[in-house]
Amino acid sequence: MSFYNYSLTLGRPPRFLGFKNYLDYLENPDVWVALSHTLIFVFFSVVLTTFLGSLLGGLFWRSSKMPGRRLALTLLFSPMILTPAAIGTFFRLNYDPTFGIFGYLTKMITGANIEYLGTEGWAFAALVGVDVWMWTPFMVLIILAALGSVPAAELEAAQIDRLSLWRQFRYVVFPHARFIIILGVILRTIDAFKVTDLVYQLTRGGPGGTTEVIGVMMFRKAFEAFSVGWTSGLAVITLFTAISFTAIFLYLLNMHKRKKIG
Amino acid sequence: MRSSWKTKLYHVVLWTVALAYFFPVLWIILSAFKTKNDLLATPPKWLFSPTLANFVNLFGRESFWPTLVNSLLISFLSVSIAIVVSFLAAYALSRFKPVGTDFIMFLILSIRMVPAAAVVVPVYLMYAALSWKDSFWAMTLFYAMFSVPFSLWILKGFMDGVSMRFDETGLANNASRFHIIFKVILPQVKPGLIAAFVFNLIFVWNEFLFNFILGGRNTTTIPTLLVSNSYQEGGVDWTFVASLGSIYLVPPVVALYFFQKYLLVGMTFGTVRGEV
Repeated sequence: MSFYNYSLTLGRPPRFLGFKNYLDYLENPDVWVALSHTLIFVFFSVVLTTFLGSLLGGLFWRSSKMPGRRLALTLLFSPMILTPAAIGTFFRLNYDPTFGIFGYLTKMITGANIEYLGTEGWAFAALVGVDVWMWTPFMVLIILAALGSVPAAELEAAQIDRLSLWRQFRYVVFPHARFIIILGVILRTIDAFKVTDLVYQLTRGGPGGTTEVIGVMMFRKAFEAFSVGWTSGLAVITLFTAISFTAIFLYLLNMHKRKKIG
Repeated sequence: MRSSWKTKLYHVVLWTVALAYFFPVLWIILSAFKTKNDLLATPPKWLFSPTLANFVNLFGRESFWPTLVNSLLISFLSVSIAIVVSFLAAYALSRFKPVGTDFIMFLILSIRMVPAAAVVVPVYLMYAALSWKDSFWAMTLFYAMFSVPFSLWILKGFMDGVSMRFDETGLANNASRFHIIFKVILPQVKPGLIAAFVFNLIFVWNEFLFNFILGGRNTTTIPTLLVSNSYQEGGVDWTFVASLGSIYLVPPVVALYFFQKYLLVGMTFGTVRGEV
């Protein structure tokens, strides 16, 4: 389909275009803008979730005897198992300049009345904020698993040897935890790359297209503008991107397995 | 040894973090018990007299009950189909190792890694051509297909962990393949089955885009209802969003509480194991 001029509204059979759709992407500034939004979004989202996730994961590491730990973790993890479509809707309320709790809190603290979702720049930040909020728990989970994979005996030995905290981390924790953390970061990258419903619900790509990421662009072109052929080409490109991410993920996974056996 | 007040302080900090994290969700739940005026009050109200009117209103809506039933039926049916299919597939791939097993697993996983918006167009055209749009069974089948990659990955991971010796012993003792699969292997991969089942349920329960595009009146699930019905009289109907949202989030959160130890396996396609 990606080689055709295929529109659902024209009501005529698809016309073969060869690579014309693909050439169009190269020239079409919207595609590049959406792509750059996606990459910036992925970058910030992944970096911030990894950072916050490590922080919280480290904080929760020694909590196995805490009363009500299971409930606390349920509360902590709950954002990531809720659907982005619902989260997007909820946060439209939370970010609302007049009624929203966030609008109110910023006004109380800074005195400024910020229309988060209506201002260019802020809308993007707000979007990243929600995504980070949603997916930090995932990194916490990964970090906890990673820390859990560090053998207790080695850590005790390091403590007995009075290694500084940094050295304990650098030479004992990190080599064991590294692999799982890398897997987590790759999975997170893939997820951030395919963000669609959250953005669609929160901002519809606006204001002024400043939050239009590649997923939203495809969705709108296909189901608001009905240019199916054009969208399919874009879908093929994202498909290959996603497949290459997956390949990296599996490559690392297999390498690790082999090392364990060998 | 830590002194006990230090431990207590540590726990208080952890609880505060967890609660702060949950706050935006909690706010929505609180909003569901507010009247429209309280909900939209400036400054936002912390104290208010709770009301059940929003829920009564919600239950009275024509669209609510069919949607709830759809959500439940579609999730359970599709995931059950997917689990049976992927359990058998996982057995085949794990035991007979046909040529290209790794490649098959790779292809199957990449289906789940692609942005949904890229997949939805071809599926939409196919469903339109077959006039399967807005059909309950077509929707269920789609979700079953959607759940297979994930389940297969988890189950194959678990199955690879079960030694071939069990199969060999079974065969040597004249047991049928069926006996081996269901009586010998199945009990050993139970955690995998539970993880796959629970997390696919959550995924299907949550899925919005495909339902929104491929579905219609007969197949609407809760997320779609939440999104498509939230506008009323020119503005967003926040009491509706808050009350439906609160009902929507109960099952996933409860599942998360009870199946927490499977969460990690669930979120990483079974590639990372460990206790949390």
